[in-house]
Amino acid sequence: MKTDISQAGNKLLDHSTIVLFSIILITFSVLSPQFFSLQNFINVLIQASSLAIVATGMTFVLLTAGIDLSVGSIMFVAGVVSGKMVDSGTSLGVACLVVVGVGIGYGLLNAIFIYRFKVIPFIVTLATLYVGRGFGLYLSDTRAINLPENFLSIGSARLLGIPFPIIVLGVVVTVAHLVLTRTVFGRQVYAVGNHAEKARKAGLKVNRILLSVYVICGCCAAIGGLVAMAQLGAISPSFGSQSEFMAIAAAVLGGTSLFGGKGQVFPGTLIGAITIQALQSGLVIVNADPYLYPLITGSVIFLIVLIDSFRHKEQIRRRRIKKVA
Amino acid sequence: MGEKVSLSEQTMKLIQPAKKLRSDHIILYLCIGYYLLMCFVAPGFFTINNSWNLLFNLLPLLIAAIGQTLVMITAGIDLSVTSVIAVASVVGGYIMSADTGLGLGPTEAILGSVLGMMLVGGLIGWLNGWAITALGMPAFMVTLTTMIFFSGFAIWLTQSQNIYNLPEAFVNMPYSSVLGIPIPALIGAVVVGVAYLLLAKTLRGAWIYAVGMNPKAAKISGVKVPQTIVLVYVFSGICAAVASVLYTARLETGSPVMGQNSLLDIIGAVVIGGTSLFGGKGKVQWTLYGVLFITLLDNSLNLMGLSYFLIMMVKGAVILLAAMLNVGKRTALQTA
Amino acid sequence: MLLELNDITKKFGEAEVLKGINLPLEAGEIRGLVGENGAGKSTTMNILGGIHPPSSGSMRLNGAVFAPQSPTDSLAAGIAFIHQELNLFPNLSILENLFLSHFPQKKILGIPVIDRQAARQQAQKLLQQVALDLNPATLVEELTPAQRQLLEIAKALSANPRIIIFDEPTTSLTSHETRKLFDLMARLKADNIAMIYISHNLQDVMHLCDHISVLRDGRLISDYNQAAGYHLPTIINDMVGRDIEQFFPDRNTAPGTETLLEVKSMHAEGVVHDISFTVKKKEILGFYGLVGAGRSEMARIIYGLDAFASGALYWKQQPISAPTPARWINKRVAFLTEDRREEGLLLAQPIGKNIALASLRRFVQSPLRWVARQPLQAAVSEQAEATKIKYHSLTTQPVATLSGGNQQKVVLAKWLMTKPELLIMDEPTKGIDINAKHEIYKLIHQLTEQGAGVLLISSEIEELLGLCDRILVMKQGRISAGFSKAEFDRSALLEAALHTEKQGSL
Repeated sequence: MKTDISQAGNKLLDHSTIVLFSIILITFSVLSPQFFSLQNFINVLIQASSLAIVATGMTFVLLTAGIDLSVGSIMFVAGVVSGKMVDSGTSLGVACLVVVGVGIGYGLLNAIFIYRFKVIPFIVTLATLYVGRGFGLYLSDTRAINLPENFLSIGSARLLGIPFPIIVLGVVVTVAHLVLTRTVFGRQVYAVGNHAEKARKAGLKVNRILLSVYVICGCCAAIGGLVAMAQLGAISPSFGSQSEFMAIAAAVLGGTSLFGGKGQVFPGTLIGAITIQALQSGLVIVNADPYLYPLITGSVIFLIVLIDSFRHKEQIRRRRIKKVA
Repeated sequence: MGEKVSLSEQTMKLIQPAKKLRSDHIILYLCIGYYLLMCFVAPGFFTINNSWNLLFNLLPLLIAAIGQTLVMITAGIDLSVTSVIAVASVVGGYIMSADTGLGLGPTEAILGSVLGMMLVGGLIGWLNGWAITALGMPAFMVTLTTMIFFSGFAIWLTQSQNIYNLPEAFVNMPYSSVLGIPIPALIGAVVVGVAYLLLAKTLRGAWIYAVGMNPKAAKISGVKVPQTIVLVYVFSGICAAVASVLYTARLETGSPVMGQNSLLDIIGAVVIGGTSLFGGKGKVQWTLYGVLFITLLDNSLNLMGLSYFLIMMVKGAVILLAAMLNVGKRTALQTA
Repeated sequence: MLLELNDITKKFGEAEVLKGINLPLEAGEIRGLVGENGAGKSTTMNILGGIHPPSSGSMRLNGAVFAPQSPTDSLAAGIAFIHQELNLFPNLSILENLFLSHFPQKKILGIPVIDRQAARQQAQKLLQQVALDLNPATLVEELTPAQRQLLEIAKALSANPRIIIFDEPTTSLTSHETRKLFDLMARLKADNIAMIYISHNLQDVMHLCDHISVLRDGRLISDYNQAAGYHLPTIINDMVGRDIEQFFPDRNTAPGTETLLEVKSMHAEGVVHDISFTVKKKEILGFYGLVGAGRSEMARIIYGLDAFASGALYWKQQPISAPTPARWINKRVAFLTEDRREEGLLLAQPIGKNIALASLRRFVQSPLRWVARQPLQAAVSEQAEATKIKYHSLTTQPVATLSGGNQQKVVLAKWLMTKPELLIMDEPTKGIDINAKHEIYKLIHQLTEQGAGVLLISSEIEELLGLCDRILVMKQGRISAGFSKAEFDRSALLEAALHTEKQGSL
């Protein structure tokens, strides 16, 4: 009997993502019938797309037991650069390519400090967060950049009736999911996150894998920034700030462990991001006091991290018993 | 741009021999050298007015950074300090303001609000420590969520309004002296003294280092690990609240966004001073030097007319440099 | 001759752990390698596996000089090493662990992806070879230790090795699983693969191996072959035999009558079962057993580091309900752990701080909990002298700069400074040189002369025989035998610890 209960508890822990997601959906649907509509779900998905893309990149980093605090600044720098270029007449396609290039370059910079100079990821990316934000402000003269019409048109464009942000989201999540589950590199990321030293012993090129995840994270952050920009139509000086925390929260909520080696982009991180966006949209729809948003978001993230650490403890306990059994 | 490059090259050159010397005081020498240089380079640097400015900018940062130092010695991190500063400022302002206050006499109001602010800091710190030890959550995520929560809490409490009309005596506090020493300097000295004695002279101090260096060995040697961890987070929270007292008096308002941008300065100062991010190593005087360095950098770059964003970039780069130096020291020790 | 080791020596710093090893290996041969802990078995195999280079001597593989620079070199040369500590990733599946560094791939639209079908087929073949009937998609964290062991062997087979080294492969296996492993080894032998088999289980070794090489103190003592027949007592004598009498200082005291620690039916699921014993004043109680027999786990439970399900602890007749290290230190009970780097020392801190750590509370002045510096320093220097630590400075020299033996003396000094009435020691002389060992033995004696009891966990029989008043032997989490001083007998001890007859399953 007792084991039945604890097994049910374990099951609940293992599927905490879906459970929390359902709780939030049900709560808001009960509070406001408006919330429970196809149109609203599509809106939530569109609004969640930027966060989900950034969180997808973050998932790669977290899987190696790392962290990237600089994603918000990457979004900002990439956004400012592309905005400036489009404003001065560069074609949209070229600007998009440059955005991706900026993201990759930024990620490369992070990676070099982390694996070449052995500075912990937290400090490296905290420093590049500030350097990047400063650089972006310098480029933009601390003023908001308004984007031309054609940029905005991407945000509202549709392909086969599907809104453009959702298409980008779909492509990024699909590619990331396939890379993580179907390629050698993807599986090796999990091995490195579980135990970097063991991975080195097993003959894996650990440094190259670390380099790659920070580059992927930078690239995703830049794309995520692009999607957000296209919806907002302007880049304010605070564009992207705090998105590192939201991205980490989305990934962790989706079941990715901060201790590395556990987690997946699909459905995990995607659901995590949608959950956070649903929470925010729901608060808007039920007319909650806007000042309460950070309080509720903070509490929900706290709860998620708590569940994650319980899950982690439980795994260690199970492993210990198996080891001596 | 040109200025930034030459500055980091210059610090590089100064820091390189530091690695060889591995001296405790190298950042202090660096500060003195930089100070002398700035007397000639930065307009209006070597004036009475700016010296006061330096001191007032230095003190709250120093106090918050000292709390952070203790946390980092246990191999933790406290991201919630800025939110403590904001919540404490709001709570303190509420208790003593003529607009919202509890109608206390000026002395009781000031005393009550200062106590209230420290209580708020201590409580948030206790919450952090409890979640880390009892619930087993990682310090980074715990203090991240308390930061998000309490920053929002401060704004919600005041509905984003500043609290004005603080008692005259409180607002004048930064400019008043006791025995010829400005009160903020006295407060700073007390915090520095308490932290120094705690770390260097008491049982708890020895335990703080032991926990940071090897929690397993510490536990087996009878160290009360959870208690020690809770203590440093409570201390850090109280330090942030004291910093908030100084900020609030200086700005003459209780503000829900107070201290919002100082997180990097606080953590950066501790790291530049040489306290290890991996725990077990760190000193109050190192943090003093780190804070001195950051404050000098900030102040002089401002005076030289560098914009806010360039200062941001330079600071980010300097922190990265300090962290690299830190790693260098660590590997030097391991190979020794 | 497939493989030849010629006069291999190995020094770690000052300590010479291998003193000229010669070892031949033919194709299709199983060679047993036996010896006590620290005899040099693992070091020899690490040299063969490319983990350490030898200090001198040479190896020949198929007649050609063989000097591996890394494990990868050895693997490429066809030598697979199955370590006691498995290198598996529990968060990945069986299939992924098998092929992590060499997945079969195919191209879709020019992009290389894992060829799951091919991988699955190969995985199933490998799993069949080791008779592991599992879905290759199963996560490794769901496997039992035995299944993990077999998976590790399957991983080794995937590289088509000519030589396989097994380091204690059966410690976590039941008798049924062990028999399956031996069947597998017989099949490999038929395929002309050579194997080196390291084990403490002499019955298994004699049953399985064509040749047995006995190592002791870094030397090859003897070489037997199955054709000529094995004689167990001779092998055991070769393993432990050494004139050790004068190496252990004389005891001047006898155990007292007052009971210090009493453990009653202590039980923790899957760890220890029904443990009961007492330690008396001035008594040195030894615990012998194989690695993993539950001795360290028992000590950790007593000291409050791990939980136990049932049973009771008494200190001088008083029940102890919730043991913690801090409480035990107050009652003057100390615990020197096995892993001094992980659990004993603050490596980067000065020697003096390390010695003082556990006794700080005695030097505290209330109410500010000030540490009284002068008396503390004096006590620390006194203890450092008494323990004969070789150092330059107590206040500035980090412990990390000391040799292993001196580091261990620092840990011992830390505990002696708490003036213990009972000292629990887990492998106190592991990996340290003869002189330091001798000095530690003398300190243990001094301690008992002062009236303290000692609980000594060791894997070295001679150490226990030379020091203890009584020895208990643990096997698979239970106390399997007890010997008083008059009954001490090496082979009986060894036999009580070995898995002569396996229980069905745990």
